[in-house]
Amino acid sequence: MQPSLEVRDVTKAYRGTVAVDRLSFQVRPGEVTGFVGPNGAGKSTTMRLLLGLDAPDGGDALVNGERYARLDRPLTHVGALLDADAVHPSRRARDHLLWLARSNRLPDARVGEVLDQVGLASVGRKRVGGFSLGMRQRLGIAAALLGDPPVVMFDEPTNGLDPDGIVWIRELVRTLASQGRVVLVSSHLMRELQDTADRLVVIGRGRLVADTTVDDLLGTVSRDQVEVVTPHRSEATTVLANAGARVTIAGGDGVVVEGLPGDRVAALLGTAGIAFTELRRYRASLEEAYMALTRDAVEFAAAEEDGR
Amino acid sequence: MTGALRAEWTKARSLPSTGWLLLGLAVAMVGIGLAATGSLRVDECGEGACTLDTVKLSLGGVRLAQVAAAVLGVLLVTADYATGTIVPTLAAVPRRWRVVVAKVAVVGAGVGGAAVAGVVGALLAARAVLPRRGFTAARGYAATTVVHDLTQRAAVGTVLYLVLVAVLGAGLGLVIRDTGVAVTVVLALLLVAPVLAMVVGDPVWQTRIHRFAPADAGLAVQATRGLATLPIAPWAGLALLAAYALAALAAGAWMLQARDATT
Repeated sequence: MQPSLEVRDVTKAYRGTVAVDRLSFQVRPGEVTGFVGPNGAGKSTTMRLLLGLDAPDGGDALVNGERYARLDRPLTHVGALLDADAVHPSRRARDHLLWLARSNRLPDARVGEVLDQVGLASVGRKRVGGFSLGMRQRLGIAAALLGDPPVVMFDEPTNGLDPDGIVWIRELVRTLASQGRVVLVSSHLMRELQDTADRLVVIGRGRLVADTTVDDLLGTVSRDQVEVVTPHRSEATTVLANAGARVTIAGGDGVVVEGLPGDRVAALLGTAGIAFTELRRYRASLEEAYMALTRDAVEFAAAEEDGR
Repeated sequence: MTGALRAEWTKARSLPSTGWLLLGLAVAMVGIGLAATGSLRVDECGEGACTLDTVKLSLGGVRLAQVAAAVLGVLLVTADYATGTIVPTLAAVPRRWRVVVAKVAVVGAGVGGAAVAGVVGALLAARAVLPRRGFTAARGYAATTVVHDLTQRAAVGTVLYLVLVAVLGAGLGLVIRDTGVAVTVVLALLLVAPVLAMVVGDPVWQTRIHRFAPADAGLAVQATRGLATLPIAPWAGLALLAAYALAALAAGAWMLQARDATT
């Protein structure tokens, strides 16, 4: 059976505050799925529901087609990093991994292997209380990898990591996906996922905003936009706006033209005798795409706040 | 289930506080017992025949040792909540009743072991000290030995008492989840009786308090003399403490099952 993560019509409220609202999505093996949304969008809640830590009010959160609580030796099915601080500070790093390994009847030798894998072999005998946040993130990832699970879930894994650590996580995540695993990585920053994720599940206020590939998302937002680089920006803007296009000023000497195809833009500028050095299809950054997507959710939030 | 057991055992062993509390429990049993028996003199015992219960006195360290047992029981549960370790714990063992059973087994084994050491130590110390204080066969005090039925009951009962106190602590820890509050509640339950009995003048109520308070009821098992005047029968008293402990544990297990992991 193929490994999978699936959320079906899941709803969860805490003391009347809705955290996840009829959310459905599936995560597929062999690619990195980014799980994105502003802080408080419901990412961590969704992961907690998938791990059976909290019970959904409605719907199903399934791992490999089963509810988490029904899994035998769950660490061999899913590895998760939720909160790097969820470690007793008086315990040695090795011992933290050792009790986890024994809980799922994994060989003690796995502890040394995952400590090596995350680069903590030299501090295995130190107490976790003395660890930096970056080291605790690595320890949390070691714990997630203990059972060599076909599904991994990392909640904001780059929090507190230095640039080396961030590059390391990216490579690790790509490797895990290339081995055919299901990989779900959450972040509140789209740019962290720009070079890592293949697919994106975007949520806002507990609801699904988009479930798409990175390429499609960039394509939707960038559709019909052309970027022109010219030293005569104001003249160009006038000519193109008169032809019915929406023109916005971009960085450098550029303007972004919406509503006219590229060849028409070239023809108009040529007729008007306006020189330009570049003309290309405009490609939005993932961040812009994300802003465009979540703008509605944010505006909705603001309107609701005003209404109170 | 073996996985959960080994995990909780490893967790308990890998915290320095566990060893210190168990050591403290045994030292309190022996030390306080020694202080009690070492300061006795048979000729100051009173007029006529001496009726002091030297076995009970030599096991008097239980009053201090129970603090270590209770705190250990609480900590074994609340340390998980205080540090967030409850999340990986429940993720690793999602069948939550197994976590409860494993925790109780581990705390029972640990406290039981330390209590056996403490009780045996206290009785051996009494055996060495008492004859020198004049408590001889001639005065009606045979050498302390667990071969003696009542002494045996006091010894086994004291070990069970300490284990049950730890289980009570673990149960309250599951219900309350906060270390400070849970420790306060369990110690208040154990220590309230003497305080109440002191301020309540009515002897009828005093007897009731001694009969139903968990510590007083549970410690009736230590008596080897004056059995007729006990407020509750020895094994019945221990059973009452067991009922308190199991009620707390059942409430805790149910709440662990019914509530979300950390909210």
